[in-house]
Amino acid sequence: MKRLIIVRLAWTFAILLGVSFIAFILMRALPGDFVLAAAGTTSVSAEALDGMRAELGLDRPVLEQYLVWLGNALQGDFGASFVTHAPVLQELAPRFFVTLQLSLVAIVMALLIGGVTGLASARLRGRVDWLVRAINGVSLAVPNFVIATLIVLLAGLYFPQLVVFGYTPFAVDPLKSFGNLLLPGLALGLAVSVTISENTRAAVLEVSNQDFVMVARAKGLKRSTVLFQYLLRNAATPIITVAGLQVATLLGGSILVETIFAIPGMGQYLFDSITRRDYPVIQAIVLVAAGVVVLINMLVDIAYIRADARVRL
Amino acid sequence: MGKASDSETTMLAISRRNMLRLGLVSGAMFMSAGSLAFGQDGSPKRGGTLTIGADADPIGLDPVTLTAYSSMDFTALIYSGLLRWTPDMEIEPDLAVSYEQPDATTYVFRLREGVKFHNGQDFSADDVKHTFDRIMDPASNSRLRSYYANVAEVTVVDPYTVEFKLSSPDAAFLRFLATNPDGVIVPKGVEGLTEKPVGTGPFVFESYQPGQQFTLSANKGYYEEGQPYLDTVVFKFYRDQATLTSALRSKAVDMTWLKDPRVAAQVAKTSPDLVSAPGQTSRTFPVWINLKEGPLTDVRVRRALSLATNRELCVQVVLGGSGKVGAMLPESHVGGYDGKSELPYYGVDVEGARALLAEAGYPDGIDLGEYIVVAANALDVACAQLLQQQWAAAGIRVQINPMETAPLLAHWNEGTFGTLLSVALSWSADADAILQRIAPSSQFGAALGIKDDELDKMIDMARAEIDPAARAELHDKIQRLIADNVYVLQVYQYPLRWELWWNYVDGYEPLAANIRSYVRTTWRND
Amino acid sequence: MSLVNDDIAPVGSTRRSWRAQLRGGSVLLCVGLLMLAIMIVTTVLAPWIVPYDPSASIGMPLSPPNAEHLLGTDVIGRDILSRLISGGRTTLLITGIAVSLALVAGLILGLLSGYLGGIVDETIMRILDVVFAFPVFLLAIAVVAALGPTIPNLIITIAIVYTPAMARVVRGPVLSVKQWDHVEAARSIGVGDVRIVSRHILPIVASPVVVETSLTLAQTIFTVTALSFLGLGPPPPDPNWGGMLAESRQFMELAPITVIAPAGAIVFATMTFIILANGLREFLNVSTRR
Repeated sequence: MKRLIIVRLAWTFAILLGVSFIAFILMRALPGDFVLAAAGTTSVSAEALDGMRAELGLDRPVLEQYLVWLGNALQGDFGASFVTHAPVLQELAPRFFVTLQLSLVAIVMALLIGGVTGLASARLRGRVDWLVRAINGVSLAVPNFVIATLIVLLAGLYFPQLVVFGYTPFAVDPLKSFGNLLLPGLALGLAVSVTISENTRAAVLEVSNQDFVMVARAKGLKRSTVLFQYLLRNAATPIITVAGLQVATLLGGSILVETIFAIPGMGQYLFDSITRRDYPVIQAIVLVAAGVVVLINMLVDIAYIRADARVRL
Repeated sequence: MGKASDSETTMLAISRRNMLRLGLVSGAMFMSAGSLAFGQDGSPKRGGTLTIGADADPIGLDPVTLTAYSSMDFTALIYSGLLRWTPDMEIEPDLAVSYEQPDATTYVFRLREGVKFHNGQDFSADDVKHTFDRIMDPASNSRLRSYYANVAEVTVVDPYTVEFKLSSPDAAFLRFLATNPDGVIVPKGVEGLTEKPVGTGPFVFESYQPGQQFTLSANKGYYEEGQPYLDTVVFKFYRDQATLTSALRSKAVDMTWLKDPRVAAQVAKTSPDLVSAPGQTSRTFPVWINLKEGPLTDVRVRRALSLATNRELCVQVVLGGSGKVGAMLPESHVGGYDGKSELPYYGVDVEGARALLAEAGYPDGIDLGEYIVVAANALDVACAQLLQQQWAAAGIRVQINPMETAPLLAHWNEGTFGTLLSVALSWSADADAILQRIAPSSQFGAALGIKDDELDKMIDMARAEIDPAARAELHDKIQRLIADNVYVLQVYQYPLRWELWWNYVDGYEPLAANIRSYVRTTWRND
Repeated sequence: MSLVNDDIAPVGSTRRSWRAQLRGGSVLLCVGLLMLAIMIVTTVLAPWIVPYDPSASIGMPLSPPNAEHLLGTDVIGRDILSRLISGGRTTLLITGIAVSLALVAGLILGLLSGYLGGIVDETIMRILDVVFAFPVFLLAIAVVAALGPTIPNLIITIAIVYTPAMARVVRGPVLSVKQWDHVEAARSIGVGDVRIVSRHILPIVASPVVVETSLTLAQTIFTVTALSFLGLGPPPPDPNWGGMLAESRQFMELAPITVIAPAGAIVFATMTFIILANGLREFLNVSTRR
């Protein structure tokens, strides 16, 4: 097991290296660079543009630029944003926190919606089951950017006083901060809720038929006690695994939702940074995003292998 | 001129709102928004916060080195220059109290005394010299260096007198000085303005959280008596236009500007308490043409393209009528095109276009290949599709390629696009900055492959012509020459910024220069 | 040698309960197939059934639904119904081809990886991990910016994005099937690799792959429309649903139909594949967990 984890960690490092290299080469292979993007249509002479490029080190060969970046990155220095001149990590940290906060709200929303609908459809069966499945079908079929667009437009039109767009920093007002994220979290979490709902339903059904629940019920324990103490505790594991797996999906989906809701998270930052060709920031975000995905994959794989090993025994 | 019709629109918006709120019927007394602010409700109230919705983060706040248009929203409130624009786009003194011009190439400015920078440092002629030294230093990589290429020498005569010596007469000089941030003064001996700006303007930089908000507070020592009225100005960022619109409606922001005139017009209609000010037309939508190689080197093909273009229809469909037919210079510039006068090859004539094509050797029409447009700009993409249809009717076929902004700019600057490319120009301080985009001797004109000695000579003459009437005449000739040869195909002109604000915001004036200088006279009436 | 014949491979353990399965999954499956049929028919017949040229401005911009234009007109006066039908053609074409490519690539890589195991498995899976970990959006922008927003480029981008997931779905069952007795038995009597894979492994893998493909189709429609929404879709004037949504959403108040129509179409298409996936899952008795 230990060896496996070490091997996996080595692979993780190799994967991140590969991702960073591809991202680096890809971005610089694209026509247009930071100084051009920043200048836009304001007239800037070619000499001034070249001077700015030299200042940023963009005039050197791409491979050399990559090696310099890699050397610094290995020492924990990810460079400074071209836009703000501040260290990339210092710029990224608050946005990562915002995206994490948004993902958390989305997951909680998804757990609430998915848990309730899944439980209802498993316990009540019949019509409720069909209704839940219909709702799930729709939730899954409406892309998050469509929901987000509709929410923004409808809220702006009909509830202008109720809905406040934008983001309140957590440090300023924690409650308001989370309040601001409710609608975006809903847009983002709805699709995830379906997976959770289906898994809850399956898990509850499976657990209900197992001996210890039957025994507990036979012992005369109250229905609700059985449900919550035995049932949920046993069904929770697969649900949490699934929710964990969805984190990667959430990170990907956050680009559109954050842009539409004006939430200054990592997704929006990536979008902006690509448009502005802020290379150091792009590199850092790609690394963080890939890191999260790889890490989760690794954990899931290890969990599977362990589960498999248990089965074999 | 078209200015009248623009102020008519403003007037209508204001008078409608007053009719509803105050029962006033006549709008004639509200010809300018300024008279409204002070004439009607008495003296301005002090204090409060103005929240402005912004759609882009600044990229650097040092006026000498910044290049991004998005930075100018912020520098406009932090810095000030020797001169500034009035609401009618006339030049008036600002940090200077007066100036005189002993001869055609010498300007002597008397500076305001007792002005302090935000860091407490005294403002004097040394700072003016320092600013221009920095601009002229090649190591600064300042975009302004080419704007002030005519400035030969800046001399400090005494602490409050500074003399500019130009190498030749220059009509653009004062206009650049009046424009924020092209002509603003930075303090001597202060580094790191990119992140921590220090100016003499009405507001002091407080804090900036990228993507969230940008906060400014009133400059207590500002030299205009009693100004600014507001305590705080906060910019909040909404990248998405639809969200920005919703934020304005929900009063999460008090004021903003929108890109799409049709949306702005629609939003303004939703509430009688919203004030809408389209401003003067300041932006044109051009189709840049590769004149270096290919079929478009033949002037007949270009003329056919122009004849096949129904500009008025584009104005109606894409802008919902909130714009005018365009030529090289928008009407807010000296000698800008009014959108009505006759220009060569501006009439729609599909048969004539076909005939020209046949004459050029393309009787069965011609395939011009890719037409590149800015993918992020919905107006541009919509207009391109309309143009594609109009051209197709005359047998000219193009494929639209909506491109990300950075590569598009690279193609445009270096002239590496196939045949056609559209990118709208932002407001420039002087017509010359626009004309340099096609001047054969400039890097941009050369990249497009324009060869025309007469045009080059006329552009140089126009910049050197100080008399406005004579300059306007020259600009008219230049625009005719461009239209006649179709060096660039101009479609329409429109206000870049359609500003909107709630009517409790008083004393504000939109500027054709697209900077919010008049936040300094703004106050909250609630 | 003659006693052990690999012809008795348990190809369809599900066939036993064919009728029971049909009853459970048939409703969903039928609805899904019906919706799919509607989409395919409209797509195939699109050039003949569109009322107008989808790229031609022929009416007043943003006019509401009327007798001439059943769903009204868009921001520059084009018939929305025509654009919807024609846009569906583009969207489904991209989706269909991209997913087919991902399916073929995923099958090959997954089978190779799962069947050969060892260093081949590790190498393939880790390379796919790199692709999997790479932000979709960055890849799409890079391809579109470098090569242009053409339909083939979009197809390739999306195929690359979905290959790793497909390969994983194939590899999992292969890994376990490989250990099964009948496969080991077949191998022990000297049956060739190709035959083992095609006769013993592919049939077992087929069911989860079919379900996964259907789900991937739904996700791909998401991705295609999302990219178009961001302006990275097929170039105008050819209509596509995401682009239609993006260009009209600011005008929702003036003309709600301009937003509702493409949004509805997107939902219909994704819903089709989701229903189909669920129907297939029940019909083929594939476990919910991957």
